[in-house]
Amino acid sequence: MAQTDTGAKSGERKRRTGPVTFTKQVVAELRKVRWPTQRELFTYTVVVIVFVLIMIGYVSLVNFGFGEGVTWLYGLVGQAA
Amino acid sequence: MLGAFVRAFRTPELRNKLLFTLFILTIFRLGAVIPAPGIDSVAIEKCVQQTAETGASNIYALINLFSGGALLQLAVFALGIMPYITASIILNLLTVVVPRLEALKKEGQAGQSKITQYTRYLTIALAVLQSTSVIAMARTGQLFQNACIPEEYMPFLHTSYELPVLIMIVFVMTAGTCVIMWFGELITERGVGNGMSLLIFTQIIAEFPAGMMRIWSENPAWVFALVCVAGVVLITGVVFIEQAQRRIPVQYAKRMVGRRMYGGSSTYIPLKVNQAGVIPVIFASSLLYLPTLVVGLLGAETDNKVVDFLNTYFNPMGNHPVYLTTFFLLIVGFAFFYVAITFNPAEVADNMKKYGGFIPSIRPGRPTAEYLDYVLTRLTTPGALYLGVIALLPMVALGTSGAAANFPFGGVSILIMVGVGLDTVKQIESHLQQRNYEGFLR
Repeated sequence: MAQTDTGAKSGERKRRTGPVTFTKQVVAELRKVRWPTQRELFTYTVVVIVFVLIMIGYVSLVNFGFGEGVTWLYGLVGQAA
Repeated sequence: MLGAFVRAFRTPELRNKLLFTLFILTIFRLGAVIPAPGIDSVAIEKCVQQTAETGASNIYALINLFSGGALLQLAVFALGIMPYITASIILNLLTVVVPRLEALKKEGQAGQSKITQYTRYLTIALAVLQSTSVIAMARTGQLFQNACIPEEYMPFLHTSYELPVLIMIVFVMTAGTCVIMWFGELITERGVGNGMSLLIFTQIIAEFPAGMMRIWSENPAWVFALVCVAGVVLITGVVFIEQAQRRIPVQYAKRMVGRRMYGGSSTYIPLKVNQAGVIPVIFASSLLYLPTLVVGLLGAETDNKVVDFLNTYFNPMGNHPVYLTTFFLLIVGFAFFYVAITFNPAEVADNMKKYGGFIPSIRPGRPTAEYLDYVLTRLTTPGALYLGVIALLPMVALGTSGAAANFPFGGVSILIMVGVGLDTVKQIESHLQQRNYEGFLR
């Protein structure tokens, strides 16, 4: 009984898939993937670019302001000392 | 479509979240310009410019990019979010290895918060190490490739205060890292998007305009135009893959509960081709940052064999094949690893079974889990390769000469920018849709 059990188990264990079969399976799965349509792709790309540009604008503005502020502040302290 | 950006600010709840996030990001940037105590900020500014002018291929350029320029300023937030990220990778890895941590993770909420606590302690330890290394490099002038004299920006050197001030700087930078860690958690909790990713996103885009300006001023206009076009093409490519899904159909059986009829609907499990997102790239680049840290701690001037080895093979500017290969392998490895820890096929299959769901032509329970695993492995393979290729493509294409790291459209930055951008926009979108507004993405 115990033997048949182990036998069944090792039989159940799948053999390692070879690289060729694996590549075929990968391609097969990729075929089933739902790729974005042209319209979707366009919308998402534009939205992402706009978002990134807004963030870049905001961060550079903040950077510029703080940079100037710190330079000014330390310059002031330097003069006073 | 772009009106959605305006509408996002008209929704009170969402507006609060957005403003809160922007507020945190602003303080984050403020900390990146305030120099640590004892540092002469005017002198260090000059020094950074001098280093840039001599064009010395700075090993720390990559690190500097990841700290949003704060590192070379020796700012309070010089270390950025990196120690936190490194700590969370290490704990993620350890969860698989150490049984005690695995048990904690399975415990659920309570265990998870314990792991978070460990992550925080580790972050502090890493921050101490890293700030010590940065200070050691700054003290010898090596941080700026010996382009200027350390005494200029660290006026306290060779005085009796030297040691106490150095210790204080380490304390301040470590404290800064803790604050950043807290910011990350605050954004995740009360703001929009994932805090850790948004902070690293901010660090990267903070250096972006300067990079573009450099390209504009150093090259003819057509190069600039070419770079912009290449950037848009890359962004489109990344969006294309990020949006690609394999939809596994799931049927729910009809069942009677009392007098009501439930289920009978069909949905799908969305499996992205790149299920892991940008995390593997962030993980891989922050791990590859460790060799530089070691070099800093040991001091690059010694003829230590370890330093020599690391400098030849793992110099981020060197584009050595060994470095590139390691980077690629790390990304691929982390992609599989991250998918494995975030998506558990057995759990999903179990849940489906509980609610009477099944994948047509596949039995519920273990066969379903095996099927999900099968599909996931076959999707993650191309997904991981894609991440690796995109991250390395600019580095390989631009070759040596260190132009790659200065290239603002570096693969890693593009992946992080687009990945985090998409995630955040989608989150804002779902907030908008809850209120029946049209989102960005019609």
